[in-house]
Amino acid sequence: MSRATTLVINRLTIKRLGLWLFILSESFLFLALLVVRFYLQGVQRPTELNQPLGFVISGILLLSSLTAYRGESAIAYGDEKLFRRNILFTLGLGILFLVGVGIEWAEGFRFFPPASGFGTVFFTLTGFHAFHVLTGLLALLTLVLPGQKGRFTPENYWAVEGIVKYWHFVDVAWVFIFPTLYLVS
Amino acid sequence: MPEPGLRGKLRLGYIVLGALIAIKIAEYLVGTTIPNGVWPFLTILALVGAWPILYYFMHINQLWHPKSRHDE
Repeated sequence: MSRATTLVINRLTIKRLGLWLFILSESFLFLALLVVRFYLQGVQRPTELNQPLGFVISGILLLSSLTAYRGESAIAYGDEKLFRRNILFTLGLGILFLVGVGIEWAEGFRFFPPASGFGTVFFTLTGFHAFHVLTGLLALLTLVLPGQKGRFTPENYWAVEGIVKYWHFVDVAWVFIFPTLYLVS
Repeated sequence: MPEPGLRGKLRLGYIVLGALIAIKIAEYLVGTTIPNGVWPFLTILALVGAWPILYYFMHINQLWHPKSRHDE
């Protein structure tokens, strides 16, 4: 292996490690909020909570993880068209997820307002997560234009890899938030 | 038509999504049909659901096996 190749691998490894440390620090924040749910409310939840909608938006977020993965895989193999299509699908699904959270919030304000015990937990957790989805969407948006200009190649697509990893993290966080808020009883 | 290596990756994506949806359905059924004491099962199902995302989609193993498509 040449010295230049080794250098590229080392730089990439450092970037990945940095991103994983960031993800780890974010995980602690989510974990703290999940613990707060049990500390404040135990395993109680209001009967008005819209579980089917929570289930549907979970499916939407899982599907968006697949499209993000497909986008990353496509650019790794130089298929720019498939990359662009999948990033746009991911953006659409992310927006759909936020619409679902918006509907949940509208119902939440009626049945368990933020001032109530469960409302505090629900709005903080879903709000914190929705903010991450929003930042993930903005980050994904930054891939669209350079992607159209052919800026990403199989040799250079760290921006795609980093942002897609962050998007998957947002999905992993929801994998824990959904049962904690909607299913535990 | 994507090249064979890419086709395999895309197929893997569908398999992982299928597994994740199956776990999510199991989780939903446990959470909505069993009246109480479900949190240990839900915790296990959430951990089982998170692992394929971490491993297959986020490639956590790249941390200890750094070689990837970039590096070829």
